Amino acid sequence: MRRTFLNRVAQMIRNEPDTTFFTVDIGMWAIQDILREFPDRATNVGIYEDGMFSVAAGMALRGLVPTIFGIQPFLIERTLEQIKLDLAYHKAGVNVVGTGAAIDYSKYGYSHYCAEDVAIVKLIPGLEFVAPGSPKEFGQLFDQSYRNGHSTFYRISDHPNRTELDVKFGQANVVKTGTRATVIAVSVMLEPVLDALGDEDVTILYYTTLEPFDRKTLAENVPSGKVLVCEPHFAGSLLWDIHQSLSGRAVQIGSVGLPREIFRTYGTYEEKMVHYGLDAATIRRRYFELLG
Amino acid sequence: MHQILKDLRKDCLRLSHRCQDGNLQSAFSCMEIVWVLYDKVMNWAPDRAMDPDRDLFLISKGQATFALYPVLKQKKFFTDADFSDIGDLHSRFSNQTDVTKFRGGVENSAGSLGHGFPMAVGMAWANKIQHFSGRVYVLTGDGEFNEGTMWEACILAAGKRLDNLCVIIDDNSSVGELIDMGDLGMKLDSFGFQVFHVDGHNLTELERTLRIRPEEGVPVAVIAHTERGHGSKTLMENSVWFHKSPNKDELEMLFKEIDSL
Repeated sequence: MRRTFLNRVAQMIRNEPDTTFFTVDIGMWAIQDILREFPDRATNVGIYEDGMFSVAAGMALRGLVPTIFGIQPFLIERTLEQIKLDLAYHKAGVNVVGTGAAIDYSKYGYSHYCAEDVAIVKLIPGLEFVAPGSPKEFGQLFDQSYRNGHSTFYRISDHPNRTELDVKFGQANVVKTGTRATVIAVSVMLEPVLDALGDEDVTILYYTTLEPFDRKTLAENVPSGKVLVCEPHFAGSLLWDIHQSLSGRAVQIGSVGLPREIFRTYGTYEEKMVHYGLDAATIRRRYFELLG
Repeated sequence: MHQILKDLRKDCLRLSHRCQDGNLQSAFSCMEIVWVLYDKVMNWAPDRAMDPDRDLFLISKGQATFALYPVLKQKKFFTDADFSDIGDLHSRFSNQTDVTKFRGGVENSAGSLGHGFPMAVGMAWANKIQHFSGRVYVLTGDGEFNEGTMWEACILAAGKRLDNLCVIIDDNSSVGELIDMGDLGMKLDSFGFQVFHVDGHNLTELERTLRIRPEEGVPVAVIAHTERGHGSKTLMENSVWFHKSPNKDELEMLFKEIDSL
């Protein structure tokens, strides 16, 4: 997904003179030539997040389309006030592409984990959050939104789904329909969801745009009143949207997601996903618990 | 004191009185700076307030908002009637700016310190990329330089050779009361700025300095030495006026004080 993104950046900088790109000292291997050829519009700004967001907002207010690339916790948690004021309050259209979330840097410790990202961004009105599950989906979602004048956060994952779908910004995919429950598979959770429940009589909805959340598709696809949310960030991050989508209806909600705790573990990504219960076996168990 | 500067200060007091809020000491200390920029220095006019090539003025020290509005009124961009509901629930105007409520005149939303300067760097950089001729002026406080983002902005501005950027520091000695910052001018110089010192209440000196064209590729910093509350003995002497608006009696008293200068 990183390579897809950086190729897209190279294409954008070459062909679209109103675009700018800043990397916070990562990913240079793929775009050395762009950094050399277009030093004014493509810059490695170094270890520099807070001020960079204000700088990018200033550029957007002058009519440019800036994209920042960095590591998710530093992009979102370190710069929270810049996001709130310089992006959201100013209505500046800045694209922010983050790698590493939630636990992709599995051995780096809590400084590099960012299970909070979507919940934080969703708390600030007017921002958008996109979490593609595959490189192709990243390309589609980026192309549909990077010039829309809003600030959009893109979370790219080093552990994409095997399945690649055609996706639309702001719209969930109905992967399959069934009667016993509705499973919300968010981003890279589609793969373990399909492994766990692909053969069951369930509706599977696939979400890659998390803000704005497609409430309509959810409202139209909950035949049983039972919903299992499978999300690769802090559990419950999407609850407000689910509540608003199903307002006035009696629903039972099960949850698979990262527990709300400070992660003090290391290990591999796969070990972590099992440890925190984001694997197919846990999804299957939670599903049957929900059915009762 | 020049009559216009007295009138601007009186307008500032009226705004604060109507709004029942404001930071008058801070607005009074930068009144001459903002006036000279709009009257003598910037390529800006009310009918070209959205011209892509206009010079930009950003407020990084949000407390200066009540210095900006009177100047823009004097320049016939706003009228007294515009300010009639200042501070009210649905007003465009209050003691800080919200840029989304304006088309021109206001270039950024001010409030939290340490944001306007890096944003100005982004605008100056964007002007270079798009070959806009406008310069970017940004007004900061001296205390604001305690924020790390100010120094981040300096590094990028110098590294990107933004000679279309001018940061003006309203140095009203607010950090003198906090920690010893050392020599701000030397610090900015070492960060790659061409640094000028100026009496921030002297119109001639301000005009001369702010009109200086910088060396190629070097951003400019102007350290304007000012007094908090300048123009009013009452405001200067009593620190309660850092954040206080005048009532009707105080308004009359402060008007007289300014008229007597």
